Amino acid sequence: CQVVKETYLEQSTEPWPENATLYQQLKGEQILLSDNAASLAVQAFLQMCNLPVKVVCRANAEYMSPSGKVPFIHVGNQVVSELGPIVQFVKAKGHSLSDGLDEVQKAEMKAYMELVNNMLLTAELYLQWCDEATVGEITHARYGSPYPWPLNHILAYQKQWEVKRKMKAIGWGNKTLDQVLEDVDQCCQALSQRLGTQPYFFNKQPTELDALVFGHLYTILTTQLTNDELSEKVKNYSNLLAFCRRIEQHYFEDGGKGRLS
Amino acid sequence: MAAPLELSCWGGGWGLPSVHSESLVVMAYAKFSGAPLKVNVIDNTWRGSRGDVPILTTEDNIVSHPAKILNFLRKQKYNADYELSAKQGADTLAYIALLEEKLLPAVLHTFWVESDNYFTVTKPWFASRIPFPLSLILPGKMSRGALNRILLTRGEPPLYRVQEVEAQIYRDAKECLNLLSNRLGTSQFFFGDTPSTLDAYVFGFLAPLYKVHFPKVQLQEHLKQLSNLCRFCDDILSSYFRLSLEGTSPAGQETVDANLQKLTQLVNKESNLIEKMDDNLRQSPQLPPRKLPTLKLTPAEEESNSIQRLSP
Repeated sequence: CQVVKETYLEQSTEPWPENATLYQQLKGEQILLSDNAASLAVQAFLQMCNLPVKVVCRANAEYMSPSGKVPFIHVGNQVVSELGPIVQFVKAKGHSLSDGLDEVQKAEMKAYMELVNNMLLTAELYLQWCDEATVGEITHARYGSPYPWPLNHILAYQKQWEVKRKMKAIGWGNKTLDQVLEDVDQCCQALSQRLGTQPYFFNKQPTELDALVFGHLYTILTTQLTNDELSEKVKNYSNLLAFCRRIEQHYFEDGGKGRLS
Repeated sequence: MAAPLELSCWGGGWGLPSVHSESLVVMAYAKFSGAPLKVNVIDNTWRGSRGDVPILTTEDNIVSHPAKILNFLRKQKYNADYELSAKQGADTLAYIALLEEKLLPAVLHTFWVESDNYFTVTKPWFASRIPFPLSLILPGKMSRGALNRILLTRGEPPLYRVQEVEAQIYRDAKECLNLLSNRLGTSQFFFGDTPSTLDAYVFGFLAPLYKVHFPKVQLQEHLKQLSNLCRFCDDILSSYFRLSLEGTSPAGQETVDANLQKLTQLVNKESNLIEKMDDNLRQSPQLPPRKLPTLKLTPAEEESNSIQRLSP
């Protein structure tokens, strides 16, 4: 028992290894809007912490993940999925972006991260699984693409049923697409007002909130959907566009630290 | 002119105007913004609808869901956020999202899923306000809806189990309460001296948790340790819901009076008994004072002895 305790402590204070990997679905053919946004947020966060990570694409990434959600990172012999737990894991290793914030600012940061999850992520899920046009043209085809018939249809329908159940439970089941887009607009307006003219949400230094917002907004702006209404909503706010461009330039193009496609 | 606005919602108890979070949010917002609302409490007659409560009815509109009702009230010029800056408006949205994601699952669990609480408090309360035989069905449906919501938003597919998420949701809720307490600090409301939408939402979520008496109370205990949040709820109750408080405090005073009455009655009975005994003793045939065997007493004890013989 003593030995097990020691090794656990050792693992959490081990330095970040060189071969850390991040797993997500296949970029070109399979990955969907919401998963891409989540993966990009984690990549941005790790870049901001200056921790190297290699992105590996696997068709069954969703099933490999301990919580069923992508992305997940494999560091040493630990596997951690989703941005929240990854931030805590990285903090246990001694790297944190939000240490300089006081209690009120930390509360604000957590509140805004929940706002993004509550509105933007849910809107993305709604659009890709509950809007018939998008489902038919894009989602079904992409989600099941690595698998042979009939598995591709079965998995896609199963996932759609799951997402629709969730939407109904939180009260989004009866929303129309216009109402969802209005919610997205409200969320972007709130983010834009909070950002103001600052370079990052908490002035000079980026935090996990910046990573999360970047992940979602960049994905919305650069993903081709059946119509452009979603990205148009984001484009209305020029400071958000400038924010995305700034992070892209600083963390993804600068010296080839990472690659965005 | 403003059409008469009627709100139908669940009633109150334990000092609250309503026990249902969403109804309480709407009521609080109406008080803050000065909207004249006629509140129809759902009772166990068949009048009024029961689904999707709270529901606001005007002459030509029926609006449900707190967010939509608040929007509607704002459009009718009842705006509690008039003095907020743009950033504060953005903060409001963010904190409401925080409440819904982190606090609501645990509140739902405490009210509807935790079996001790549900069977001893929640179910009887709601069942008494729903007409039979709907009272056998509706509380169960609400409980299953709450469990569903918790599992689908926090559980892990494909096997959703509530035990896995219980610890996590209570941890998240306690963290959320701490964050709210930090944000509120020592000020009276979240944005200065006048209450706004965020205050309505926080009050709506916290007040039932604070006031309702549950057998299993871990979240309530945690909330009671955060004194500024408790003070926040009490302040709003006493300043904006004074009428309802007065409605319940005469009842409270009545119980106090009743207790006092009972006590005085008891004391009166006792003293009556004592008087009767006294009378009996006086009227009973006087026996000649018995000669007690004289004892060798000191003068002080003799005094006390004579005093003893004088009293009845």
